[in-house]
Amino acid sequence: MSLTPHPSLTRLAKRWCSTFLLLIATSGTLAAAELEVSEARLRLLPGDLPAAGYFTLINTSEKGVTLTGADSPAFGNVMMHRSVNQDGVTSMEPVAQLELAAGEQVEFAPGGYHLMLMKRARPLAVGDDVEVNLHFAGNQRQRVTFRAVAPTAQ
Amino acid sequence: MRRCIMALFVTLWIAGCSDPDWQTKDISGLMPSLAFELIDENGNTVSADQFLGKTTLLFFGFTHCPDVCPTTLSRLDAATQRMDETARDEIQVLFVSVDPRRDDAETLDSYTDAFGPQFVGLTGDKAALDKLTRRYRVTYGYGEEDSEGNYDVSHSSAVFAFNAQGEARLLIRDSDPMEAVVADLERLTGEA
Repeated sequence: MSLTPHPSLTRLAKRWCSTFLLLIATSGTLAAAELEVSEARLRLLPGDLPAAGYFTLINTSEKGVTLTGADSPAFGNVMMHRSVNQDGVTSMEPVAQLELAAGEQVEFAPGGYHLMLMKRARPLAVGDDVEVNLHFAGNQRQRVTFRAVAPTAQ
Repeated sequence: MRRCIMALFVTLWIAGCSDPDWQTKDISGLMPSLAFELIDENGNTVSADQFLGKTTLLFFGFTHCPDVCPTTLSRLDAATQRMDETARDEIQVLFVSVDPRRDDAETLDSYTDAFGPQFVGLTGDKAALDKLTRRYRVTYGYGEEDSEGNYDVSHSSAVFAFNAQGEARLLIRDSDPMEAVVADLERLTGEA
């Protein structure tokens, strides 16, 4: 019995290896230096009413990125929304994606872009840290810790 | 001496006549007085008369509103926190839910409690809400339901302010600076 692996097995192993590396490269977390997230907070409402997620995102990389959504283990459903005001009537519209050019910054802030976090998976209290994953085009994810704040927080 | 007296007279005259404009939108005479019949957060039928005697702020919204409604209510909370205690006690905020399907008395009660004791939740059936929103020339409507039964509700973003006699006085918008809101609310409560 030969100790050298069958050539086809070696090829297979190589293919697996390269596929694995490719997976790491495409579904990995973005390098922290490429995107800066600050003021990440989650404004809670009583009971299971939807919460709002606010943050500032800066694309410090040298290429554009596209924010495509978010998820959180603490919520069953997270949507990206924008509040719009037309002639004094306010409503929300879904945001499918948001492109940020190199160096660009976007604010998710009251009265504009926000995450709408629904269906709490666990009870949450003001002061809790809540994990949220921001999704980017190219199957990239960035994990961000949001601080739960009171309904009256500005 | 005469010049001095003259200067004093002119100063007093200017001070006495100075009636600085309201910093938010003055709607005196443009909107009708406060009138409604709605259900409060204890499930009781209430009318506007029961809320006279205090400066009343009226805002239309819904509790499943994560962004705009809590932002407006927290701004009103911040404004009242900046007022002195006596003036603060003279203000009440009526949050009228235009989403009675999801906002029962219990939900409204815990919702308004989260903002402060001066917030009162109200709602009503379609007829009562239509009558009230038409009275103040505002609209509301429902978005399409998604697969999980969630839907958006469009509503007026402005806050109507009434004096203690229930007369419409001001329209406060999200774009009004906090200082303007505080100054006008202090002035309005002082009129009572």
